[in-house]
Amino acid sequence: MSQKLSKEQTKKLGLSIVGFIFLVYIYFTFFLGPLQRSRADMLKKIADRQSKLDTAQEELHKAAKLEQNAKDAMVRFNALRKVNAEGAPLAWFPPRIKTFFANEQIDKAVARLEGSSELKQEELSGWLRYNWVIDLPQTDYTTLGRAIADLENSEPLLLLTRLSIHAMPDQPQFQHVELAAANLIEKK
Amino acid sequence: MALHLNLLHEEILEQRQRQRDPLKLGLLALIGCGTLMFGYYSWNAYRTLEIRSRLGAIERSWSKMEPSVTAAQKKVAELQTLTKTVRSLDDYIADRFFWAPLLQKIAHCVAPNTQLTSLDGTLDEARGVSITIEGVAAGREPRAAAEDLRQMLSEQLGHDYSEVKVEFKSLEDLDTVVNLGGTHMPLARYNLAIAFKPGAQAKPTPTPAQNRNRRKRDSE
Repeated sequence: MSQKLSKEQTKKLGLSIVGFIFLVYIYFTFFLGPLQRSRADMLKKIADRQSKLDTAQEELHKAAKLEQNAKDAMVRFNALRKVNAEGAPLAWFPPRIKTFFANEQIDKAVARLEGSSELKQEELSGWLRYNWVIDLPQTDYTTLGRAIADLENSEPLLLLTRLSIHAMPDQPQFQHVELAAANLIEKK
Repeated sequence: MALHLNLLHEEILEQRQRQRDPLKLGLLALIGCGTLMFGYYSWNAYRTLEIRSRLGAIERSWSKMEPSVTAAQKKVAELQTLTKTVRSLDDYIADRFFWAPLLQKIAHCVAPNTQLTSLDGTLDEARGVSITIEGVAAGREPRAAAEDLRQMLSEQLGHDYSEVKVEFKSLEDLDTVVNLGGTHMPLARYNLAIAFKPGAQAKPTPTPAQNRNRRKRDSE
């Protein structure tokens, strides 16, 4: 039943095809395309937010767990902070040392500040190393040994870096002692 | 055969032509496609709206959660820093060198016929501990008494510290004679240099017996 199309019919058929192509173009460009783009954007946002929410849940869980675990560290940190007194170290350290050695039967003890320096470790950036020289003009070896043991045990942030013991020429039973100590003190 | 006369031939042809009009057919196809496309679009739009409402819900819950999460992150960072600081401080405390046990050890090494006149010690993070001891030793052989002290120090310090070196910097006889326990004895002046690393000496790891046996078997 092949019937040859007339000129008029061919023209109409062409017009229909053009109309169809135009419709498809309009449909995809102005309707379905933007809709699908916005949907894809929203899906991406949802995935992003969802991952953020999941991470957030993990973070909250981690924070709670860490807070639980860090309790000991916090207690320890506060204890270490309390080892040093409030205020300028030059104001409290020399009297403390004097009292300490007086309690150890060493009457004269003079502490003087040599300087302070930053610590190398990044974790200890909030702390300073204070270098002191402690002069004990007259003591005896046994008393000194006991005093140093007590000092090392009672001052956990203090490290003796130098020790100099010289017998006194006129009283050989006594010695003149000089100690160099480094003390970690939190920056204020 | 009956004769069939079609008197409406032209009209029927016209009607058929109208029915097969390509424009009309095209329009019908266009309307059909348009309907399908509209349906598909509506379905998509519905799904998009659903997704939008889901996104809105997620955004709301995120905006509710965000401040607490930010606070938690800050807290985590603070706690991690604090934990690291405490660990570093604990390491610092644990790695300290204690002088009191050293002084005790030195005191135990000093015999009644030796005397210390000065002791200078320095702690260096890289080089360890270095000590200089000056003193005098008395005895029939005062140099031997000083050597005894050196050996005693080397032995005693070797128990607790590593890389122990005890050497004479100087050892000289003195003209002075001292009375020790009612006996006159000559004196010697010594200067000892001590160096060691804090921390006990690492013990050699024993070779596992299994390996030894295996090697023996291999050689056989």
